[in-house]
Amino acid sequence: MRHLLGIKDISKNDIERIFEMASHFKDVINRPIKKVPSLRDITIANVFFENSTRTKLSFELAEKRLSADVVNFSASGSSVKKGETLLDTVNNILAMKVDMVVMRHSSVGAAHYLSKRVNARIVNAGDGTHEHPTQALLDSFSVNEKLGGVAGKKVVIVGDILHSRVALSNIFAFQKLGAEVMVCGPITLLPKYIESLGVKVELDVQKALEWCDVANVLRIQLERQQIKYFPSLREYSLYYGIDKARLERLDKEITIMHPGPINRGIELSSDVADSDHAIILDQVENGVAVRMAVLYLLAEGIKP
Amino acid sequence: MNYLIHNVEIIDKHSEFNRQRKSILIENGVITQISDISPTQSTDHLTVISGQNLQISVGWFDMRASFCDPGFEYKETLTTGCNAAQAGGFTEVAVLPNTQPVIQTKNELAYLKSHNLRHLVQIYPIAAVSVNAEGKELTEMLDLHTHGAVAFSDGIQPVWHSDILVKTLQYLQKFDGLLINRPEDLMLTRFGTMNEGVSSTMLGLKGMPALAEEMMIRRDLDFLAYAGGKIHFSAISSARSVQLIRAAKAQGLQVSCDVAAHQIAIDDAALMSFDSFLKVNPPFRGKADIEALLEGLQDGTIDVVVSDHRPQDEESKNLEFDLAEFGALGLETAFGVLNTFGKKHLSLEDKIDKLTFRPRQILNLPQAHIKVGEEANLTLFDAQQEWTVETKYIQSKSKNSPFLGTTLTGKPVAVFSGAQTNWQEKN
Repeated sequence: MRHLLGIKDISKNDIERIFEMASHFKDVINRPIKKVPSLRDITIANVFFENSTRTKLSFELAEKRLSADVVNFSASGSSVKKGETLLDTVNNILAMKVDMVVMRHSSVGAAHYLSKRVNARIVNAGDGTHEHPTQALLDSFSVNEKLGGVAGKKVVIVGDILHSRVALSNIFAFQKLGAEVMVCGPITLLPKYIESLGVKVELDVQKALEWCDVANVLRIQLERQQIKYFPSLREYSLYYGIDKARLERLDKEITIMHPGPINRGIELSSDVADSDHAIILDQVENGVAVRMAVLYLLAEGIKP
Repeated sequence: MNYLIHNVEIIDKHSEFNRQRKSILIENGVITQISDISPTQSTDHLTVISGQNLQISVGWFDMRASFCDPGFEYKETLTTGCNAAQAGGFTEVAVLPNTQPVIQTKNELAYLKSHNLRHLVQIYPIAAVSVNAEGKELTEMLDLHTHGAVAFSDGIQPVWHSDILVKTLQYLQKFDGLLINRPEDLMLTRFGTMNEGVSSTMLGLKGMPALAEEMMIRRDLDFLAYAGGKIHFSAISSARSVQLIRAAKAQGLQVSCDVAAHQIAIDDAALMSFDSFLKVNPPFRGKADIEALLEGLQDGTIDVVVSDHRPQDEESKNLEFDLAEFGALGLETAFGVLNTFGKKHLSLEDKIDKLTFRPRQILNLPQAHIKVGEEANLTLFDAQQEWTVETKYIQSKSKNSPFLGTTLTGKPVAVFSGAQTNWQEKN
């Protein structure tokens, strides 16, 4: 791998290799001394054109625990749009001898665009409504860890599929690892041709929960919706929100995931988010290990 | 200077000379002889051009191009646009009104037409239907017609306002004027950047459904049946659009349409590369749409092939895909693309017909003829020549061709317009 632009562009073998390294790094970060010298002398720029707290923190921790030198750049997409182009911004940063760029950007394809034009390793930390590959890797890694495997498992992704980069990357990752994937949400938030990706579609969240082993519940991202796709949050939480009562009606235990940050009381009730069903904080912990693995593997080619 | 084009194959389905090899003598800009004569010696006053392996037709006409001038001269000027047209084998071009200011008074018409005195390529201005092409208030179409507007259109913008559309169809009937509409429901294509389909789903890009075009064609056809007049749909792109227009023609409505040459060559799967040069409106559709467009060209449902030339400077294209502007260059590749990708469906004379006779007929302009006594309006071309599109050959001021690196079959060689030509002896 030269870059990590999307799950679409990598193979099952790549994913398994990342998992292997991530297990190793998970051991590392649970030791008293959490730091290894693997990326010493490698400089990584975290370039975030869109607000992020947890992804940026997770990447930064992963980088620091690998002993990389880290610089951060943040700007909102709109201010960049008015002034300097993306290419100019990144070239300026690269002129200061940066080896890898971790980038989040509001435009679909921004990471691909950059990978064709600059000479550095690119890690896509989210490009608009396209992909968020490290999130999908940590999600599938967490399922693998919790259920002892991914192949043959049934995963439903609930919520705003249309605007979600997590959904698309999750679909590709779980399918590559042999899981069955379903999407569930108000039909206006499901892309019209989503079934062409080989996923099942279910409009009733209770039926979706009955079907699945794992429910990955997405955040309702009102900020990414340019126009109204459903009437109100109240109605959404009544008909698509997951609470204890829904889970109790099932005749089995399912695993609940969420990429965070949770809108408590909208897509997930607190009694579900804080329950034993939820592996939300495991996901966060695994995020650091998975990102360490990705950075480590990408850096292999640049180390002297 | 006089020219003898020796032993050249005439391509013109409306001429008795179609598919015949002849020698054509042009003296002082007028065709004076069409014969089987062998070449005389080249003298100071006569240039002999060998037509071996070449074809000739009447000069090509493009019905949909943006020259960006006045207002966006950093993308294209009238002169660079005409240079691109000439390189692409076109002697006449109808240009869209989406300039700054919009082409909506006789002043702008005069500006465009004044260029015709300085260039071989003749510009035919299409004037705006509505003030600033905003679709809210009618322009002075009678006056614009009097001062040389060849048709009326809001260009890259659809005439979305139902009442404006009906009134335009009615108003233009006084002089049998033509409304050219680009069918697009802007509410359905909002925030869209490519065709809605499997590819847009995989890319997470908001799609522009073909429905947005088809709905508007249905609507406009109903208005046409109600109001009378005639309408030309420009740059259609979907299979159902072809069906709708085919049915309307069968019903006897006065409707015609065109397709952009690039639309029959590229499908939306190509967008997986995020190449912003492939960002066009209407967007590249699916393979089945391309097949339907080709069938529409074949059976005559689609009357005309246009370049839909829309130059964009580097700063408008070398951007993240969703921020890049729509549009592709077309004039210099239109024939090569049509000839290459339309090979199975259209004979050479049918392709040429859609670049010559049909656009002039729809715009109610005088036809050009290959005939003794006619002023020269000719395009000399090589339908077999293979060439690869490269930035360095592009005459347009902008370089946003979706065909860079593509090998096409068929290339214009020279154009003749009256006493003017861009013929150059190859060394």
